[in-house]
Amino acid sequence: MTRSTLRKVGSALFILVVWQVLVQTGNLNELFLPAPLSVLGAIWTMTLSGKLPWAILVSLNRVVQGFVYGALVGIVLGLLAGAIRWVEDVLDPWVAAVYPIPKSALFPLFMLWFGLGDPSKIVTITVGVLFLVLVNTVTGVKSINPLLLKAAVDLGASRFQVFLKVILPGALPNIFTGLRLGAGMALILVFITEIEATKAGLGFLLWESFQLLETKDVFAGVVMFGVLGVASTWFLQWLERVSCPWARR
Amino acid sequence: MDTRLLELRDVTKIWSIGRTGEQVPALSSIDLDVARGEFLILLGPSGCGKSTLLQIIAGLEAPSGGRLRFLRGDGGRKLTSMVFQEYALFPWRTVLENVVFGPEVRKVPRATRDVEAQRLVELVKLRGFEHRYPHELSGGMRQRVALARALANDPEILLFDEPLAALDAQTRRVLQDELARIWAETGKTFIYVTHSLQEAVLLGGRIVVMTARPGRVKEIIDVRLPRPRSLTGRQEAEILERLDELLRDEVKRTMESER
Repeated sequence: MTRSTLRKVGSALFILVVWQVLVQTGNLNELFLPAPLSVLGAIWTMTLSGKLPWAILVSLNRVVQGFVYGALVGIVLGLLAGAIRWVEDVLDPWVAAVYPIPKSALFPLFMLWFGLGDPSKIVTITVGVLFLVLVNTVTGVKSINPLLLKAAVDLGASRFQVFLKVILPGALPNIFTGLRLGAGMALILVFITEIEATKAGLGFLLWESFQLLETKDVFAGVVMFGVLGVASTWFLQWLERVSCPWARR
Repeated sequence: MDTRLLELRDVTKIWSIGRTGEQVPALSSIDLDVARGEFLILLGPSGCGKSTLLQIIAGLEAPSGGRLRFLRGDGGRKLTSMVFQEYALFPWRTVLENVVFGPEVRKVPRATRDVEAQRLVELVKLRGFEHRYPHELSGGMRQRVALARALANDPEILLFDEPLAALDAQTRRVLQDELARIWAETGKTFIYVTHSLQEAVLLGGRIVVMTARPGRVKEIIDVRLPRPRSLTGRQEAEILERLDELLRDEVKRTMESER
Protein backbone atom coordinates (compact mmCIF):
# COMPACT_ATOMS: atom_id res chain seq x y z
CA MET A 1 0.00 0.00 0.00
CA THR A 2 1.34 3.44 -0.85
CA ARG A 3 1.66 6.20 1.71
CA SER A 4 -1.21 8.05 0.06
CA THR A 5 -3.61 5.09 0.29
CA LEU A 6 -2.52 4.49 3.86
CA ARG A 7 -3.39 8.06 4.80
CA LYS A 8 -6.79 7.79 3.12
CA VAL A 9 -7.73 4.51 4.80
CA GLY A 10 -6.37 5.82 8.09
CA SER A 11 -8.48 8.96 7.88
CA ALA A 12 -11.67 7.00 7.21
CA LEU A 13 -11.02 4.43 9.97
CA PHE A 14 -9.99 7.05 12.52
CA ILE A 15 -13.21 9.05 12.23
CA LEU A 16 -15.39 5.92 12.27
CA VAL A 17 -13.65 4.51 15.36
CA VAL A 18 -13.80 7.81 17.28
CA TRP A 19 -17.45 8.12 16.33
CA GLN A 20 -18.20 4.56 17.52
CA VAL A 21 -16.34 5.14 20.80
CA LEU A 22 -18.08 8.47 21.46
CA VAL A 23 -21.48 6.82 21.10
CA GLN A 24 -20.58 3.82 23.25
CA THR A 25 -19.20 6.01 26.05
CA GLY A 26 -22.47 7.92 26.03
CA ASN A 27 -21.02 11.15 24.71
CA LEU A 28 -23.21 11.11 21.57
CA ASN A 29 -26.94 10.56 21.54
CA GLU A 30 -27.89 7.78 19.10
CA LEU A 31 -31.07 9.66 18.32
CA PHE A 32 -28.97 12.25 16.50
CA LEU A 33 -25.90 10.32 15.50
CA PRO A 34 -26.21 6.51 15.62
CA ALA A 35 -22.94 4.61 15.81
CA PRO A 36 -21.45 3.24 12.58
CA LEU A 37 -22.03 -0.32 13.76
CA SER A 38 -25.71 0.44 14.50
CA VAL A 39 -26.10 1.77 10.97
CA LEU A 40 -24.42 -1.35 9.61
CA GLY A 41 -26.78 -3.42 11.74
CA ALA A 42 -29.78 -1.50 10.41
CA ILE A 43 -28.64 -2.13 6.84
CA TRP A 44 -28.22 -5.82 7.64
CA THR A 45 -31.65 -6.17 9.27
CA MET A 46 -33.44 -4.30 6.49
CA THR A 47 -31.60 -6.33 3.88
CA LEU A 48 -32.69 -9.61 5.50
CA SER A 49 -36.28 -8.43 5.82
CA GLY A 50 -36.22 -7.46 2.12
CA LYS A 51 -37.22 -3.89 2.95
CA LEU A 52 -34.00 -2.32 1.70
CA PRO A 53 -33.56 -4.34 -1.52
CA TRP A 54 -37.16 -3.62 -2.43
CA ALA A 55 -36.74 0.11 -1.76
CA ILE A 56 -33.60 0.19 -3.91
CA LEU A 57 -35.29 -1.73 -6.70
CA VAL A 58 -38.27 0.63 -6.76
CA SER A 59 -36.03 3.71 -6.79
CA LEU A 60 -33.68 2.23 -9.39
CA ASN A 61 -36.60 1.55 -11.68
CA ARG A 62 -37.59 5.23 -11.51
CA VAL A 63 -34.02 6.50 -11.82
CA VAL A 64 -33.03 4.26 -14.70
CA GLN A 65 -36.19 4.90 -16.69
CA GLY A 66 -36.00 8.65 -16.18
CA PHE A 67 -32.28 8.69 -16.92
CA VAL A 68 -32.53 6.65 -20.11
CA TYR A 69 -35.46 8.66 -21.50
CA GLY A 70 -33.83 11.96 -20.60
CA ALA A 71 -30.46 10.92 -21.98
CA LEU A 72 -31.89 9.66 -25.28
CA VAL A 73 -34.04 12.72 -25.91
CA GLY A 74 -31.26 15.03 -24.74
CA ILE A 75 -28.65 13.47 -27.01
CA VAL A 76 -30.85 13.42 -30.11
CA LEU A 77 -32.15 16.98 -29.61
CA GLY A 78 -28.66 18.18 -28.69
CA LEU A 79 -27.07 16.70 -31.80
CA LEU A 80 -29.78 18.16 -34.02
CA ALA A 81 -29.65 21.57 -32.34
CA GLY A 82 -25.88 21.66 -32.53
CA ALA A 83 -25.79 20.69 -36.19
CA ILE A 84 -28.87 22.40 -37.63
CA ARG A 85 -29.40 26.09 -37.14
CA TRP A 86 -33.18 26.18 -37.29
CA VAL A 87 -33.56 23.39 -34.74
CA GLU A 88 -31.35 25.38 -32.39
CA ASP A 89 -33.46 28.50 -32.94
CA VAL A 90 -36.68 26.62 -32.24
CA LEU A 91 -35.34 24.99 -29.06
CA ASP A 92 -33.41 27.96 -27.73
CA PRO A 93 -36.19 29.90 -25.96
CA TRP A 94 -37.49 26.73 -24.28
CA VAL A 95 -34.07 25.68 -23.07
CA ALA A 96 -33.36 29.21 -21.85
CA ALA A 97 -36.68 29.26 -19.98
CA VAL A 98 -36.69 25.78 -18.44
CA TYR A 99 -32.97 25.16 -17.86
CA PRO A 100 -32.63 27.50 -14.85
CA ILE A 101 -35.76 26.18 -13.10
CA PRO A 102 -35.00 23.63 -10.39
CA LYS A 103 -36.68 20.57 -11.86
CA SER A 104 -38.02 19.59 -8.42
CA ALA A 105 -40.23 22.70 -8.67
CA LEU A 106 -41.95 21.09 -11.64
CA PHE A 107 -42.84 17.94 -9.67
CA PRO A 108 -46.16 19.28 -8.33
CA LEU A 109 -47.22 20.15 -11.86
CA PHE A 110 -46.24 16.71 -13.11
CA MET A 111 -48.25 15.10 -10.30
CA LEU A 112 -51.20 17.20 -11.41
CA TRP A 113 -50.78 16.08 -15.01
CA PHE A 114 -49.53 12.50 -14.68
CA GLY A 115 -51.01 11.41 -11.36
CA LEU A 116 -49.38 10.46 -8.08
CA GLY A 117 -47.77 7.22 -9.25
CA ASP A 118 -44.50 6.43 -10.95
CA PRO A 119 -45.05 8.41 -14.18
CA SER A 120 -44.86 11.87 -12.54
CA LYS A 121 -41.64 10.87 -10.74
CA ILE A 122 -40.08 9.43 -13.89
CA VAL A 123 -41.03 12.50 -15.91
CA THR A 124 -39.43 14.79 -13.32
CA ILE A 125 -36.19 12.81 -13.54
CA THR A 126 -36.42 12.70 -17.33
CA VAL A 127 -36.71 16.46 -17.55
CA GLY A 128 -33.86 17.00 -15.09
CA VAL A 129 -31.54 14.69 -17.03
CA LEU A 130 -32.70 15.88 -20.45
CA PHE A 131 -31.66 19.50 -20.09
CA LEU A 132 -28.22 18.71 -18.68
CA VAL A 133 -27.52 16.22 -21.47
CA LEU A 134 -28.99 18.52 -24.11
CA VAL A 135 -26.92 21.55 -23.15
CA ASN A 136 -23.69 19.55 -22.94
CA THR A 137 -24.37 17.77 -26.24
CA VAL A 138 -24.86 21.10 -28.01
CA THR A 139 -21.56 22.30 -26.54
CA GLY A 140 -19.93 19.09 -27.80
CA VAL A 141 -21.20 19.53 -31.34
CA LYS A 142 -20.08 23.16 -31.41
CA SER A 143 -16.62 22.19 -30.21
CA ILE A 144 -16.01 19.98 -33.25
CA ASN A 145 -13.31 21.37 -35.52
CA PRO A 146 -15.17 22.57 -38.68
CA LEU A 147 -12.26 21.28 -40.75
CA LEU A 148 -13.32 17.73 -39.85
CA LEU A 149 -16.74 18.33 -41.38
CA LYS A 150 -15.07 19.70 -44.48
CA ALA A 151 -12.74 16.71 -44.70
CA ALA A 152 -15.65 14.29 -44.34
CA VAL A 153 -17.60 16.01 -47.11
CA ASP A 154 -14.48 16.09 -49.28
CA LEU A 155 -14.11 12.34 -48.82
CA GLY A 156 -17.67 11.82 -50.03
CA ALA A 157 -19.76 11.64 -46.86
CA SER A 158 -23.46 12.44 -47.18
CA ARG A 159 -25.16 14.75 -44.68
CA PHE A 160 -26.43 11.78 -42.72
CA GLN A 161 -22.99 10.16 -42.72
CA VAL A 162 -21.40 13.38 -41.49
CA PHE A 163 -23.95 13.38 -38.68
CA LEU A 164 -23.32 9.74 -37.75
CA LYS A 165 -19.57 9.49 -38.33
CA VAL A 166 -18.31 12.95 -37.39
CA ILE A 167 -20.80 14.90 -35.30
CA LEU A 168 -21.84 12.04 -33.00
CA PRO A 169 -18.34 10.76 -32.13
CA GLY A 170 -17.03 14.32 -32.00
CA ALA A 171 -19.61 15.28 -29.40
CA LEU A 172 -19.30 12.07 -27.38
CA PRO A 173 -16.86 13.29 -24.70
CA ASN A 174 -19.18 16.22 -23.90
CA ILE A 175 -22.21 13.94 -24.00
CA PHE A 176 -20.57 11.91 -21.24
CA THR A 177 -20.06 15.06 -19.19
CA GLY A 178 -23.81 15.62 -19.52
CA LEU A 179 -24.57 12.03 -18.56
CA ARG A 180 -22.43 12.25 -15.43
CA LEU A 181 -24.15 15.45 -14.33
CA GLY A 182 -27.48 13.90 -15.27
CA ALA A 183 -26.88 10.84 -13.10
CA GLY A 184 -26.25 13.05 -10.08
CA MET A 185 -29.38 15.03 -10.87
CA ALA A 186 -31.43 11.83 -11.22
CA LEU A 187 -30.51 10.72 -7.70
CA ILE A 188 -31.39 14.12 -6.23
CA LEU A 189 -34.74 14.11 -7.99
CA VAL A 190 -35.66 10.53 -7.10
CA PHE A 191 -35.20 11.39 -3.43
CA ILE A 192 -37.28 14.56 -3.66
CA THR A 193 -40.09 12.91 -5.60
CA GLU A 194 -40.23 10.00 -3.14
CA ILE A 195 -40.87 12.20 -0.13
CA GLU A 196 -44.50 12.66 -1.21
CA ALA A 197 -47.18 10.47 -2.66
CA THR A 198 -45.50 7.09 -2.53
CA LYS A 199 -45.24 4.08 -0.28
CA ALA A 200 -42.02 2.68 -1.72
CA GLY A 201 -38.51 3.61 -2.68
CA LEU A 202 -35.28 4.57 -0.98
CA GLY A 203 -36.37 8.19 -0.55
CA PHE A 204 -39.63 7.06 1.04
CA LEU A 205 -37.77 4.68 3.38
CA LEU A 206 -35.44 7.47 4.43
CA TRP A 207 -38.20 10.00 4.97
CA GLU A 208 -40.48 7.61 6.81
CA SER A 209 -37.63 6.59 9.11
CA PHE A 210 -37.02 10.27 9.84
CA GLN A 211 -40.66 10.79 10.78
CA LEU A 212 -40.47 7.76 13.08
CA LEU A 213 -37.18 9.10 14.48
CA GLU A 214 -35.44 5.85 13.49
CA THR A 215 -32.20 7.72 12.90
CA LYS A 216 -30.10 4.65 12.16
CA ASP A 217 -32.49 3.72 9.35
CA VAL A 218 -32.19 7.29 8.02
CA PHE A 219 -28.43 6.81 7.96
CA ALA A 220 -28.85 3.47 6.23
CA GLY A 221 -30.81 5.24 3.49
CA VAL A 222 -28.18 7.96 3.19
CA VAL A 223 -25.42 5.36 2.87
CA MET A 224 -27.40 3.52 0.19
CA PHE A 225 -27.86 6.74 -1.80
CA GLY A 226 -24.09 7.16 -1.57
CA VAL A 227 -23.55 3.64 -2.86
CA LEU A 228 -25.90 4.30 -5.78
CA GLY A 229 -24.02 7.51 -6.58
CA VAL A 230 -20.66 5.77 -6.60
CA ALA A 231 -22.02 2.87 -8.63
CA SER A 232 -23.51 5.16 -11.29
CA THR A 233 -20.24 7.10 -11.54
CA TRP A 234 -18.25 3.90 -11.99
CA PHE A 235 -20.68 2.58 -14.57
CA LEU A 236 -20.52 5.80 -16.63
CA GLN A 237 -16.73 5.92 -16.38
CA TRP A 238 -16.55 2.38 -17.67
CA LEU A 239 -18.98 3.16 -20.48
CA GLU A 240 -16.94 6.22 -21.45
CA ARG A 241 -13.70 4.23 -21.53
CA VAL A 242 -15.30 1.63 -23.76
CA SER A 243 -16.95 4.06 -26.16
CA CYS A 244 -14.27 6.80 -26.28
CA PRO A 245 -11.01 4.82 -26.29
CA TRP A 246 -9.23 7.66 -28.10
CA ALA A 247 -9.87 10.07 -25.25
CA ARG A 248 -8.17 7.85 -22.67
CA ARG A 249 -5.74 9.85 -20.60
CA MET B 1 -3.43 13.48 -77.50
CA ASP B 2 -5.18 15.82 -75.14
CA THR B 3 -3.63 15.37 -71.74
CA ARG B 4 -5.70 18.07 -70.10
CA LEU B 5 -7.59 16.92 -67.07
CA LEU B 6 -9.05 20.10 -65.66
CA GLU B 7 -9.88 23.39 -67.27
CA LEU B 8 -10.62 26.63 -65.44
CA ARG B 9 -12.00 29.54 -67.38
CA ASP B 10 -12.46 33.02 -65.99
CA VAL B 11 -13.03 31.68 -62.47
CA THR B 12 -13.73 34.42 -59.93
CA LYS B 13 -14.63 34.44 -56.27
CA ILE B 14 -16.11 37.29 -54.30
CA TRP B 15 -16.61 37.04 -50.56
CA SER B 16 -19.48 38.84 -48.85
CA ILE B 17 -18.20 39.92 -45.47
CA GLY B 18 -20.40 39.64 -42.39
CA ARG B 19 -23.47 41.78 -41.85
CA THR B 20 -22.27 44.73 -43.89
CA GLY B 21 -22.30 42.54 -47.00
CA GLU B 22 -19.11 44.22 -48.16
CA GLN B 23 -17.90 42.59 -51.37
CA VAL B 24 -14.28 41.49 -51.26
CA PRO B 25 -12.84 40.01 -54.45
CA ALA B 26 -10.63 37.01 -53.64
CA LEU B 27 -9.96 35.59 -57.10
CA SER B 28 -10.21 37.40 -60.35
CA SER B 29 -10.47 35.78 -63.73
CA ILE B 30 -8.39 32.63 -63.31
CA ASP B 31 -7.61 30.75 -66.51
CA LEU B 32 -5.74 27.53 -66.01
CA ASP B 33 -5.31 24.14 -67.64
CA VAL B 34 -4.15 21.23 -65.55
CA ALA B 35 -2.60 18.26 -67.34
CA ARG B 36 -3.01 14.68 -66.26
CA GLY B 37 -0.21 13.52 -63.98
CA GLU B 38 1.48 16.86 -63.46
CA PHE B 39 2.76 18.35 -60.23
CA LEU B 40 1.28 21.83 -60.28
CA ILE B 41 2.25 24.37 -57.66
CA LEU B 42 0.04 27.32 -56.73
CA LEU B 43 2.42 29.88 -55.29
CA GLY B 44 1.48 33.28 -53.95
CA PRO B 45 1.61 35.69 -51.04
CA SER B 46 -0.68 34.88 -48.13
CA GLY B 47 -4.22 36.03 -48.70
CA CYS B 48 -3.93 35.80 -52.48
CA GLY B 49 -6.78 33.31 -52.69
CA LYS B 50 -4.75 30.23 -53.57
CA SER B 51 -6.45 28.19 -50.87
CA THR B 52 -9.81 29.47 -52.06
CA LEU B 53 -8.96 28.31 -55.56
CA LEU B 54 -8.14 24.88 -54.17
CA GLN B 55 -11.48 24.73 -52.33
CA ILE B 56 -13.27 25.63 -55.54
CA ILE B 57 -11.49 22.84 -57.41
CA ALA B 58 -12.41 20.49 -54.53
CA GLY B 59 -16.05 21.52 -54.87
CA LEU B 60 -16.11 22.72 -51.26
CA GLU B 61 -16.71 26.32 -52.39
CA ALA B 62 -18.72 27.52 -55.37
CA PRO B 63 -17.09 30.02 -57.71
CA SER B 64 -18.84 33.37 -58.03
CA GLY B 65 -18.26 33.36 -61.76
CA GLY B 66 -16.55 31.46 -64.55
CA ARG B 67 -16.48 27.76 -65.05
CA LEU B 68 -14.56 24.71 -64.11
CA ARG B 69 -14.60 21.54 -66.15
CA PHE B 70 -13.16 18.10 -65.56
CA LEU B 71 -12.30 16.63 -68.92
CA ARG B 72 -12.62 13.12 -67.71
CA GLY B 73 -16.07 12.10 -66.57
CA ASP B 74 -16.12 9.11 -64.30
CA GLY B 75 -19.78 8.47 -63.74
CA GLY B 76 -20.23 11.39 -61.38
CA ARG B 77 -17.52 10.14 -59.05
CA LYS B 78 -15.63 12.85 -57.20
CA LEU B 79 -12.26 13.28 -58.86
CA THR B 80 -10.44 15.19 -56.15
CA SER B 81 -9.26 14.57 -52.59
CA MET B 82 -7.86 17.17 -50.28
CA VAL B 83 -4.93 17.12 -47.84
CA PHE B 84 -5.26 19.94 -45.30
CA GLN B 85 -2.53 21.84 -43.52
CA GLU B 86 -3.88 20.92 -40.08
CA TYR B 87 -4.25 17.24 -41.12
CA ALA B 88 -7.98 17.17 -40.24
CA LEU B 89 -7.76 13.57 -39.05
CA PHE B 90 -10.68 12.15 -37.10
CA PRO B 91 -9.31 11.91 -33.53
CA TRP B 92 -11.66 9.02 -32.66
CA ARG B 93 -10.42 6.86 -35.52
CA THR B 94 -7.19 4.91 -35.63
CA VAL B 95 -4.77 5.33 -38.52
CA LEU B 96 -6.41 2.52 -40.45
CA GLU B 97 -9.93 3.73 -39.66
CA ASN B 98 -9.01 7.21 -40.89
CA VAL B 99 -7.62 5.82 -44.12
CA VAL B 100 -10.76 3.80 -44.89
CA PHE B 101 -13.14 6.70 -44.21
CA GLY B 102 -13.65 7.56 -47.89
CA PRO B 103 -14.25 4.01 -49.13
CA GLU B 104 -16.43 3.39 -46.06
CA VAL B 105 -18.83 6.26 -46.79
CA ARG B 106 -18.85 5.26 -50.46
CA LYS B 107 -19.91 1.76 -49.35
CA VAL B 108 -16.93 -0.11 -50.78
CA PRO B 109 -17.07 -3.70 -49.43
CA ARG B 110 -15.12 -4.08 -46.22
CA ALA B 111 -12.66 -6.69 -47.49
CA THR B 112 -11.72 -4.60 -50.52
CA ARG B 113 -11.26 -1.40 -48.59
CA ASP B 114 -9.19 -3.01 -45.84
CA VAL B 115 -6.75 -4.53 -48.32
CA GLU B 116 -6.44 -1.21 -50.11
CA ALA B 117 -5.97 0.66 -46.82
CA GLN B 118 -3.15 -1.70 -45.83
CA ARG B 119 -1.44 -1.05 -49.15
CA LEU B 120 -1.70 2.72 -48.65
CA VAL B 121 -0.44 2.53 -45.07
CA GLU B 122 2.59 0.80 -46.49
CA LEU B 123 2.95 3.37 -49.29
CA VAL B 124 3.18 6.18 -46.75
CA LYS B 125 5.45 4.06 -44.52
CA LEU B 126 3.19 3.82 -41.50
CA ARG B 127 3.30 0.07 -41.08
CA GLY B 128 3.12 -0.85 -37.40
CA PHE B 129 1.09 2.27 -36.59
CA GLU B 130 -2.23 1.11 -38.06
CA HIS B 131 -3.98 0.96 -34.72
CA ARG B 132 -2.63 4.15 -33.19
CA TYR B 133 -4.83 7.19 -32.66
CA PRO B 134 -3.82 10.51 -34.27
CA HIS B 135 -2.90 12.09 -30.93
CA GLU B 136 -0.29 9.36 -30.49
CA LEU B 137 1.49 10.36 -33.72
CA SER B 138 3.92 13.13 -34.60
CA GLY B 139 2.90 15.90 -36.99
CA GLY B 140 4.79 14.32 -39.87
CA MET B 141 3.12 10.96 -39.32
CA ARG B 142 -0.29 12.58 -39.11
CA GLN B 143 0.25 14.18 -42.48
CA ARG B 144 1.21 10.78 -43.89
CA VAL B 145 -2.11 9.43 -42.62
CA ALA B 146 -3.95 12.35 -44.23
CA LEU B 147 -2.21 11.60 -47.52
CA ALA B 148 -3.11 7.90 -47.37
CA ARG B 149 -6.71 8.83 -46.52
CA ALA B 150 -6.89 11.14 -49.53
CA LEU B 151 -5.43 8.45 -51.79
CA ALA B 152 -7.91 5.84 -50.54
CA ASN B 153 -10.70 7.29 -52.69
CA ASP B 154 -8.46 6.78 -55.73
CA PRO B 155 -8.96 10.36 -56.95
CA GLU B 156 -7.60 11.68 -60.23
CA ILE B 157 -6.35 14.82 -58.53
CA LEU B 158 -4.87 15.30 -55.08
CA LEU B 159 -5.22 18.78 -53.65
CA PHE B 160 -2.72 19.95 -51.06
CA ASP B 161 -3.36 23.03 -48.95
CA GLU B 162 0.07 23.96 -47.52
CA PRO B 163 0.35 20.45 -46.11
CA LEU B 164 3.81 20.85 -44.60
CA ALA B 165 3.52 24.38 -43.24
CA ALA B 166 2.89 23.26 -39.67
CA LEU B 167 5.92 20.93 -39.52
CA ASP B 168 9.47 21.54 -38.38
CA ALA B 169 12.14 22.08 -41.04
CA GLN B 170 13.66 18.57 -40.86
CA THR B 171 10.36 16.75 -41.05
CA ARG B 172 9.26 19.03 -43.85
CA ARG B 173 12.35 18.19 -45.87
CA VAL B 174 11.78 14.44 -45.46
CA LEU B 175 8.12 14.71 -46.39
CA GLN B 176 8.90 16.80 -49.46
CA ASP B 177 10.98 13.89 -50.78
CA GLU B 178 8.22 11.48 -49.79
CA LEU B 179 5.63 13.51 -51.67
CA ALA B 180 7.81 13.54 -54.78
CA ARG B 181 8.23 9.77 -54.49
CA ILE B 182 4.52 9.12 -53.99
CA TRP B 183 3.64 11.44 -56.85
CA ALA B 184 5.98 9.46 -59.12
CA GLU B 185 4.76 6.08 -57.83
CA THR B 186 1.04 6.78 -58.12
CA GLY B 187 1.08 8.84 -61.30
CA LYS B 188 -1.65 11.06 -59.82
CA THR B 189 -2.12 14.73 -60.59
CA PHE B 190 -1.01 16.92 -57.69
CA ILE B 191 -2.18 20.49 -57.21
CA TYR B 192 -0.17 21.91 -54.37
CA VAL B 193 -0.65 25.23 -52.62
CA THR B 194 2.35 26.73 -50.85
CA HIS B 195 3.89 30.07 -50.03
CA SER B 196 7.38 28.57 -49.85
CA LEU B 197 9.57 29.31 -52.87
CA GLN B 198 11.92 26.48 -51.92
CA GLU B 199 9.10 23.97 -51.78
CA ALA B 200 7.84 25.15 -55.15
CA VAL B 201 11.25 24.63 -56.75
CA LEU B 202 11.86 21.28 -55.07
CA LEU B 203 8.51 19.79 -56.02
CA GLY B 204 6.91 21.64 -58.89
CA GLY B 205 6.57 20.56 -62.47
CA ARG B 206 4.88 23.85 -63.23
CA ILE B 207 4.68 26.75 -60.85
CA VAL B 208 1.69 29.06 -61.09
CA VAL B 209 2.69 32.37 -59.52
CA MET B 210 -0.32 34.32 -58.30
CA THR B 211 -0.72 38.02 -57.66
CA ALA B 212 -1.73 39.63 -54.39
CA ARG B 213 -5.46 39.83 -53.68
CA PRO B 214 -7.51 39.58 -55.74
CA GLY B 215 -5.52 36.60 -56.98
CA ARG B 216 -4.79 36.32 -60.66
CA VAL B 217 -2.32 34.15 -62.53
CA LYS B 218 0.77 36.30 -62.81
CA GLU B 219 3.07 33.88 -64.51
CA ILE B 220 3.50 30.17 -65.05
CA ILE B 221 7.00 28.77 -64.82
CA ASP B 222 7.96 25.41 -66.26
CA VAL B 223 10.49 23.60 -64.13
CA ARG B 224 12.18 21.13 -66.44
CA LEU B 225 14.70 19.82 -63.96
CA PRO B 226 15.37 16.20 -63.02
CA ARG B 227 14.42 14.90 -59.58
CA PRO B 228 15.51 14.68 -56.86
CA ARG B 229 16.34 18.34 -56.83
CA SER B 230 18.60 20.29 -54.56
CA LEU B 231 18.21 23.89 -53.52
CA THR B 232 21.93 24.44 -54.02
CA GLY B 233 21.86 23.40 -57.68
CA ARG B 234 22.63 26.20 -60.16
CA GLN B 235 19.46 25.88 -62.22
CA GLU B 236 17.32 25.54 -59.12
CA ALA B 237 18.90 28.72 -57.77
CA GLU B 238 18.05 30.56 -60.97
CA ILE B 239 14.40 29.60 -60.71
CA LEU B 240 14.37 30.53 -57.04
CA GLU B 241 15.68 33.95 -57.89
CA ARG B 242 13.10 34.41 -60.63
CA LEU B 243 10.30 33.41 -58.25
CA ASP B 244 11.66 35.68 -55.57
CA GLU B 245 11.55 38.63 -57.97
CA LEU B 246 8.00 37.82 -59.07
CA LEU B 247 6.73 37.44 -55.53
CA ARG B 248 8.50 40.35 -53.90
CA ASP B 249 6.32 42.88 -55.72
CA GLU B 250 3.22 40.99 -54.74
CA VAL B 251 4.15 40.74 -51.07
CA LYS B 252 4.88 44.46 -51.10
CA ARG B 253 1.47 45.13 -52.61
CA THR B 254 -0.19 42.95 -49.99
CA MET B 255 1.54 44.82 -47.19
CA GLU B 256 0.58 48.17 -48.67
CA SER B 257 -3.06 47.19 -49.06
CA GLU B 258 -3.15 46.00 -45.44
CA ARG B 259 -1.71 49.22 -44.12
